[in-house]
Amino acid sequence: MYLFTKPCPMQKRNTLFSSYPRDPGLFDELFDQEGKVTKVYSKLFNLYGKNSISDYLELNNKAKASFFNQGITFQVYNEATTREKIFPFDLFPRIIGAEEWAHIEKGVVQRCRALNLFLHDLYHEKEILKAGVVPLELINSSENYLEQMVGLDPPGGIYNHISGTDIIRHKDGEFYVLEDNIRCPSGVSYVLSNRAALKRAFFGVFNHYDVHTVTNYAENLLDQLERVKPGGVDVPTCVVLTPGMYNSAFYEHSYLAKTMGVELVEGRDLYVENDFVYMKTIMGPRRVDILYRRIDDHFIDPLEFRQDSALGVPGLFAAYKKGNITIVNAPGTGVADDKAVYTYVPDIIRFYLGEEPILKNVQTYHCSRKEDLEYVLDNIRELVVKPVDEAGGYGISIGNCLTDTEVEEVRQSIRNAPRKYVAQPILSLSVHPTFIEESQSFEQRHIDLRTFTVLGPDSSYVLKGGLTRVALRKGNLIVNSSQGGGSKDTWVLQK
Amino acid sequence: MTEHYTIEYVAENTYEHPVLEANWQFLIIPREDAHQQRIQIFFENSENAPWEFSRNGFDFTTIRVRCQGAFKTISFRAVFHLEKTEANPFEFDLGQLRGLPENPDELLLFRIRFSRYLKDTPLSRLPNRVKVFDFDPKHHIFENLIGLNSWVFQTLKYTSGATDVDTPLEVVLENRMGVCQDFTHLFLAIARHHGIPARYVSGYLHQGLGYFGDAQMHAWAEAHLPGIGWVGFDPANNILATTDHIKVAHGRDYSDCAPLKGVFTGMGGNATRHRVQVETQQQ
Repeated sequence: MYLFTKPCPMQKRNTLFSSYPRDPGLFDELFDQEGKVTKVYSKLFNLYGKNSISDYLELNNKAKASFFNQGITFQVYNEATTREKIFPFDLFPRIIGAEEWAHIEKGVVQRCRALNLFLHDLYHEKEILKAGVVPLELINSSENYLEQMVGLDPPGGIYNHISGTDIIRHKDGEFYVLEDNIRCPSGVSYVLSNRAALKRAFFGVFNHYDVHTVTNYAENLLDQLERVKPGGVDVPTCVVLTPGMYNSAFYEHSYLAKTMGVELVEGRDLYVENDFVYMKTIMGPRRVDILYRRIDDHFIDPLEFRQDSALGVPGLFAAYKKGNITIVNAPGTGVADDKAVYTYVPDIIRFYLGEEPILKNVQTYHCSRKEDLEYVLDNIRELVVKPVDEAGGYGISIGNCLTDTEVEEVRQSIRNAPRKYVAQPILSLSVHPTFIEESQSFEQRHIDLRTFTVLGPDSSYVLKGGLTRVALRKGNLIVNSSQGGGSKDTWVLQK
Repeated sequence: MTEHYTIEYVAENTYEHPVLEANWQFLIIPREDAHQQRIQIFFENSENAPWEFSRNGFDFTTIRVRCQGAFKTISFRAVFHLEKTEANPFEFDLGQLRGLPENPDELLLFRIRFSRYLKDTPLSRLPNRVKVFDFDPKHHIFENLIGLNSWVFQTLKYTSGATDVDTPLEVVLENRMGVCQDFTHLFLAIARHHGIPARYVSGYLHQGLGYFGDAQMHAWAEAHLPGIGWVGFDPANNILATTDHIKVAHGRDYSDCAPLKGVFTGMGGNATRHRVQVETQQQ
């Protein structure tokens, strides 16, 4: 179905948004305080408005079927019946203007550079601890600090090659960083498939906007990875290491390998000889120089870390230590994306770069600090409490949604292990019109944005776009896909 | 005076079903330091599988073996010849001994420098509400550690088979039984609790003098005495480490020093038997 290919002379009434329930207390990306459409969206608003709800519904169903047929699915852990789901996709894109994007891009690169220097320092001189800027206890109590990384110099000096920085817009209109994900963040394949799906459904709309492409992600990633090849290698061989087809993000692993034009391997496809890593191929062994691994630190080498790991490569760490292979991201990066370290990121930026942070942090209370703990226990209803070391939105409790019994339970878990929890004020994430199947109409839903940054020794690349995640349940603030979130194509405008 | 040692290490692995591919890593080679020098290393395995020297994450020399099947048993044998200069455990000058830094800035630097050996680990974590050895503030650190060494020796009864490599201290203290690993973990936990950096040491002990420590690898502890350095304590025998203690590696606890780690592709269970023999000739 090809819509919008012909210019439409008559401006019809915008039926898509005729019954849009707009809460003026929320920051709506599409409508300003007076209910007027914002500048970047105005053309799109008119273009989409030419459709009826039934046209939209039909395209929506086609897009869904296409995702399922392509196997762009994920699985939810901890559910009694694990089953494949598609990541719900909303056909109404999110637009970020050129100026706003430039601010975001500068901000995330600054953060990633600072975190890289922080990691180098933590595994070498530990100056930031000696200066008392970051408390020693915070690092000592982190399970993601890898003693084996002390004194080791990763090729090119890069630890967090790939970062996924989560950003939200608060109702004051400002962007805040919510989380830094530097342990092999996922989601980038959705960005690329969302763009492809939107182009299939509504390709005409792209004629009206200068949108930055996202399809160059793979080539930029490969280019940056090849810059951190081990010494003495001319043309490096890069592979993507996956835990296997049962992993929830397997689609993404295969997608990345395919688009970078490199092999997708499992641990059993690799072996180590004389401290070099080889891939078993039908043409015989082939040396591997760069390993983009999508398995956790503790599973990468059963001879060095968890012996029960069937996913890793025996001897891999010895090869890494010898400088014969680059592991991406470097082992031990998790210590810097711990939610308890998050609070210190502004200080980390000032300490290493001597700059003021470009992007703001959300006020965070550490339950390990006595005064913060008391505040959190007394004000639990106004706070979001998060475990410091869980990803994917698990274990989060939002104060104003809890029953009295639940409040007591949360208090008890915090008291039992204060170091395990941080708390933040309940932020009002900005909202975006999102098509809701149940009501067959557009409604306001909260959104965030995961950006993807690739860091090289002297250059960096930020994907001009990102994954806008939508909390599909009304009023819900958790946007993670594992918690019933959906996503939108995200447009970054060239001007 | 130098002492000449010959150490033989044998491991026999048996598997329930044929193994298609397996990897092992041995952390069994005596390390080289001021007191001990390797003269020869000999290594063989029954399958003639290729092996190589490598280094683990803490920079200790390992032997890594990779074998492709199918086999149901495999045995490894290593022989090390080494020379040791006699170490007198009391040869350091106690006059140099200092207390832990009192100035907060210095204490922070000390705690950062030794953070690896001050943190507790799953194997060296003291259970809550258990009465353990208290340091006497009137005595200096060394005397307190000697006291701790004998307290551990008296508290636990050396019993083979009562514990295994991942028994937590809670169970060890409840049954008051264990082997050298457990004695060492208990020593480490209490020394660290008092702010003294302490590390797990794995190695060999010459059994000639009737010491505890089976025909297996031995474990003891090293504590860092400010002003002096690392000093070895063997709580399973209530002595300081001597020339007869031949060090292989040190780490936070047993899991950093496991002599043999292995992974295999295949079905069913497996079992490993180790045998160690240490012989000496004076020269």
